[in-house]
Amino acid sequence: MYPILILLVVLLIYGVAYVFHGKKLLERRVVKADGSRLTPAWEKFDGVDYVPANKYVLYGHHFASIAGAGPIVGPATALAWGWLLPLVWVLFGNIFIGAVHDYTSIMASVRYGGVSVMTVSENVMGRRARYIFLAYVWFALVLVLAAFLSVASSTYVAVPTAATVAIVYMPLALLFGLLVYKVGLSVRKATLISLVLVVLAIVYSFYAPTHLAYEGWVVVLALYSFIAAALPVWYLLQPRDYLNAYLLWAFVVLAVIAPLLTPVLRFTGPAYVSFIVKGGVVGAPAGSAPAGWDIGWFWPMVPLVIACGALSGFHSVVGSGTTSKQLSNELDALLVGYGGMLTEGAVSSLAVILPAALVWDFTSIAQSAGIPLDLLLKAGIDVKKTPNILAFAGAPRFYTAYGFAQAVAWSRLLGVEAFPTLYTGFSTFAAWALTAFVLTTLDTSNRLARFAWAELFDWLKPRSPTVHRLLTNRWVASALAVILGAIMAYPKIEDPLRPGVFIYAYSIVWPAFSGTNQLLAALALLTTTLWVYAILRVRGAVSALMLVPALFLWVTVTVALILWLIYVVPYLPLLYIVGAGTIVAISVVLDFLLIALFTRGLLQARRL
Amino acid sequence: MRAKEGIGLVITTVAILLMLYELFYVNLTRGGIGARGQVTTDAVLICAGFLLILIGPWLWLGEVPVAIRKFVEARTGRKL
Repeated sequence: MYPILILLVVLLIYGVAYVFHGKKLLERRVVKADGSRLTPAWEKFDGVDYVPANKYVLYGHHFASIAGAGPIVGPATALAWGWLLPLVWVLFGNIFIGAVHDYTSIMASVRYGGVSVMTVSENVMGRRARYIFLAYVWFALVLVLAAFLSVASSTYVAVPTAATVAIVYMPLALLFGLLVYKVGLSVRKATLISLVLVVLAIVYSFYAPTHLAYEGWVVVLALYSFIAAALPVWYLLQPRDYLNAYLLWAFVVLAVIAPLLTPVLRFTGPAYVSFIVKGGVVGAPAGSAPAGWDIGWFWPMVPLVIACGALSGFHSVVGSGTTSKQLSNELDALLVGYGGMLTEGAVSSLAVILPAALVWDFTSIAQSAGIPLDLLLKAGIDVKKTPNILAFAGAPRFYTAYGFAQAVAWSRLLGVEAFPTLYTGFSTFAAWALTAFVLTTLDTSNRLARFAWAELFDWLKPRSPTVHRLLTNRWVASALAVILGAIMAYPKIEDPLRPGVFIYAYSIVWPAFSGTNQLLAALALLTTTLWVYAILRVRGAVSALMLVPALFLWVTVTVALILWLIYVVPYLPLLYIVGAGTIVAISVVLDFLLIALFTRGLLQARRL
Repeated sequence: MRAKEGIGLVITTVAILLMLYELFYVNLTRGGIGARGQVTTDAVLICAGFLLILIGPWLWLGEVPVAIRKFVEARTGRKL
């Protein structure tokens, strides 16, 4: 199989999906988007969270916020099943579930004044559903904060130049915002100036490492998250994410160019390895017995492995959190929500799965491309120790594959002698692309937690306005979530699975996150499906196009979580059972409670 | 200039000076900022610059840009 064929098929599928499924079906027949209707960004403008944004700026924000490490590490890990099954899941999940989920979450929120999809659920599933949903999401966001505080701190300790990039990047993003909003420069000119400065800053940062202890980074990043989440969106969030999107685009465009430069090279990796792989792939903690068992069935476990690239519950919180409050025109939502999700799918399919499938067997690809093995050794790849891509873990697997595929492609133009330099350059670029969005996630998660917190306590407003005002104050709400996150990211405890190995406290509950996040996706999609059915009164085959994928996702995630409870949790040490096990168990209970409320809402809507 | 804006201007200036000092003086003379695995003065200073630059311009230049406010007023017809 030639990569260029897969590339063309993927691009064709995305193009057709955007026009026919997105524009003609979802935008025109389901949501009936209307460009003349004022959005919450205008109606509730407050200069902090509700601010209308240019659609390309908002696309950049939405895309950068939803594209964390998920679309990269997940598909890289899923290669254990071979490259074809993950690719099919990314395409199917991306179009029929993820893009629908993201787009309808934004539009449902917009139609309800910019509230979260959790609050939208009250209108179709009742008040109880709303508060359960909000509390669940708030805790999930605190967990995300803890994980990303830890991941970012560890990354900056390990790659001190990445820390400098993050430090110098912020003032440049601020500069972009000030140029556009204060100086009145056009977006195009401001973009050009900022991008030139960003490139210079990145190059300089490569020679300016910033060293700080892990604990120091946790404190600095917690302070960053606290401040950035409370600042107005036009000031930092919009400009930073807009510029971030260029980095991601560069990353995807390079991935598209590579197969065009190597049209005669064939995939060296197997399309299919096995339907069942080891449990470690589906999140059984390292060192536990289930990690080595054959319990990684492709279905129903795949959504727990490949999240953001195909679908993710976090997206509905972003879409109905920050994005819907900045949407200037209902007609922009398709590009932002649907287009943003397809772009993220392109990151997974074209920048992760395709390069890995091409360079899978290092010896074969080196022979096909005419690169001597000693040049591979010079680049740091020892084919005896690491014969193929599966010899690397998730993230290193990705930047090795990406760097290798790029180096193979560009060495055809620059000569094979350039391979080691090209490989080092492109794999470093890939590692940077992976870490570039960590800070985005840190403050967007905190801002979203603040929104969820405010909505969680709206019942208090008529009873005690002063207490309500204090509790939902943006600085108080930001501080609360990030302090809890930092408490979970800061202390180290001995891993009960690996005596002598110390892990950060949040790691005890983190294995549950993938399941709870995807459960959130299923519940958010059920909510917007019911909104379309009950409120927008879309019926027949068109509504089935949403209802069937929503129920399929719910069944898939529910079965996966139950299997996780049966095959993984009982074999974990007590601390993990109390942490991750309890969260999964609570999630399953809430899952059934919310599906009961969904069914009731659906039956009521049918009678109307 | 109001007190808030004055404080913002001072914070912005301090933040920029701290970052420039660490990036261009400390880095070029010592080959890096801070020391691996430690909390040093240089690392604290550049991080302080990083955090202060987030707050300074915001205090200095105000929360809502006039351009955005006028645009919203024109579109919605309400006075902000």
